Amino acid sequence: MAEKEVPLTAVKVEALVVMKIIKHGSQSFPTTATGSIVGMDVNGTLEITNSFPFPVVEMPAESHFDNAAPNPAAAAPRAKANAVYQAEMVRMLREVNVDAQNVGWYTSANMGNFVNMNVIENQFFYQKEMNERTVALVHDVSRSAQGSLSLRAFRLSPKFMTAFKENKFTSEELQKSNLRYQDIFVELPVEIHNSHLITSFVHQLQSPIQSAPTDLPASLSALESGPFAKSSVLAPNFDNLSLSIDPFLEKNCDLLLDSIEVHHTETNNFQYYQRSLAREQAKITAWQNKRKTENANRATLKQPLLPEDEWQRLFKLPQEPSRLDSMLNSRQVEQYARQVDSFVASTTGKMFAVKGNLLPGETAK
Amino acid sequence: MADTDSFVHLARPLGPVAVGSAPTTAPVNVVIQPQALFSILDHSLRRNADQERVIGTLLGTRSEDGTEVEIRSTFAVGHTETTDQVEVDMEYQKQMLALHLKANPKEVLVGWYATSSELNTFSALIQNFYSGQGDGTWPHPAVHLTVSTEAGKDIETRAYISAPVGVTAERAADSAAFIPVPYEIRYGEAEKSGLEAIAAARDAEERSANIFTDIEALERAIEEVLGMIDRVSRYVESVIDEEAPASTAMGQYLLNTLALAPKVEPADIERDFNNHIQDVLVVSYLANTIRTQMELSNRLATAQLTLGGEGSGESGAQRGGQRGGKGGRGGQQRTQERSGEEARA
Repeated sequence: MAEKEVPLTAVKVEALVVMKIIKHGSQSFPTTATGSIVGMDVNGTLEITNSFPFPVVEMPAESHFDNAAPNPAAAAPRAKANAVYQAEMVRMLREVNVDAQNVGWYTSANMGNFVNMNVIENQFFYQKEMNERTVALVHDVSRSAQGSLSLRAFRLSPKFMTAFKENKFTSEELQKSNLRYQDIFVELPVEIHNSHLITSFVHQLQSPIQSAPTDLPASLSALESGPFAKSSVLAPNFDNLSLSIDPFLEKNCDLLLDSIEVHHTETNNFQYYQRSLAREQAKITAWQNKRKTENANRATLKQPLLPEDEWQRLFKLPQEPSRLDSMLNSRQVEQYARQVDSFVASTTGKMFAVKGNLLPGETAK
Repeated sequence: MADTDSFVHLARPLGPVAVGSAPTTAPVNVVIQPQALFSILDHSLRRNADQERVIGTLLGTRSEDGTEVEIRSTFAVGHTETTDQVEVDMEYQKQMLALHLKANPKEVLVGWYATSSELNTFSALIQNFYSGQGDGTWPHPAVHLTVSTEAGKDIETRAYISAPVGVTAERAADSAAFIPVPYEIRYGEAEKSGLEAIAAARDAEERSANIFTDIEALERAIEEVLGMIDRVSRYVESVIDEEAPASTAMGQYLLNTLALAPKVEPADIERDFNNHIQDVLVVSYLANTIRTQMELSNRLATAQLTLGGEGSGESGAQRGGQRGGKGGRGGQQRTQERSGEEARA
């Protein structure tokens, strides 16, 4: 950690890691898959060169927030058993010359629903316990299935780290630190990097044999079964062009509705807190007034005064609910909104294209 | 590549085994998943400077009848090779296998790989270890995959299974007849997008590429399609000009493809288009409205205290809370509208 002063600015992912994460994520879909990534930190660019999945272990709900992990895999990265597993694996990898430095962890997500306590706690654990310069790679399985690969790298911002460490999420603290939901994560640009061998291999995959000019096929079936009919894997994914709108929107609406529900609960909690606080405050004021008049009476009667700060013992102010959940929820909604936006951008384009194609005269209007 | 080669399937001669536990002799078809190949190539890059080749273990699944082996992942195993002896780190292989199986309980040991095409005595020795009883793949044949990574040549992949050929009992341990078996590289649907991104980096000087956004991916796909249409129309034109030989099959194929274009009433298109575009835009609008509402409500709940001093802070926060509640309700009303919208669509 000699060059600690250089902040992490980008993430470079090896093709191997991309494939491994995709494989692991899609294998265990729709449950969350998590694993560890190893690599090297080169002048602020985190090079991720290998990865391995975590075993799914049953773990007791030891999270220091009351919601227990619904899925053991999601909590796996910070489980104790896995720390051992990870150390063991890294030691083994070092023996075969793999960059044996733990640089973070990955998780799979479904439609961008990765902003939750688990991710936060995992990343917090990594940045605090293991190594400050770690990232969380999020691979969105359902979005990748739709066409374009969705792989993103996140870190917790230093501001959020301090707040989370002290669990300061009351209105007053947030007020002071000016922490907003946009400040939870810092996203790092992700770049995919191929080794020389893989570059050569990919080139080879792409063009099987194209030396001699090909003969024309003799029949329709020959054409369809010929070597060129096989779709090339490396071409852009034509699933992109498909006009399926409703499933995506439906799923997003569901997710948004869930978020609204959460938001509603949070607001209700907060309101409840406000009400009980106000009630307690009113009681205290009443008590203080009573004490004051009593003291005034005692003063006139020349009796010793009663202490006026006894209310601190008699009344207990309600605990303010943590604002963290609503912050996360806002961040999650922002994520959904962005996702819908980008989907809408490409979909409207496609729809106008289809319309223009099917109704040629109309476009001139 | 070897998947275009043809193979002779030989029933493997049975080795000297006890009756009743005869190993399967059926030919094996090998399916390789790309990430396994990628990790072999990666391992090859990370070999020690004095090593000619490196070896590792193949893991994957075997179909029930044992005729198809799917190689899903690999891990490297250290070994040293001198002219007259080979040493494989068995302890390492065992530990790594145990670690790997913990995370992937469904995968089993299926064989091993080496990064040179050469098959020699040592190969036979290692092969016999991997296919042996106990720790090996017994009673299934072990698959041996060679991936040549010689500079300046094509990467050549071959898959083999082996049969014991015992010249004499003493030599049985270090001899084996390697029988080539066909293999194919199979991509899953999910891997397509990943490979696409990897392929995008293949022509770049620094061998790296950024991840596309949705719209960029769409652009690329459209460009590719336009290119293909261009190529086809060029071909058709040259046939019409009698420059290229005509082909009935090709013509028929193109005609079939063109016939796929749907024939719909303009009014229907207009209606469907309008309905759908409205859906899409409304959802986008609502998503953003919800986002704004939530942010506003949260801001009001926390930020209210700045106005005025400590005394008015209490009632301020109170007001914020209420307003937040209103925001939430507003959001919900809107979603009801939206559900109505969806129901209509």
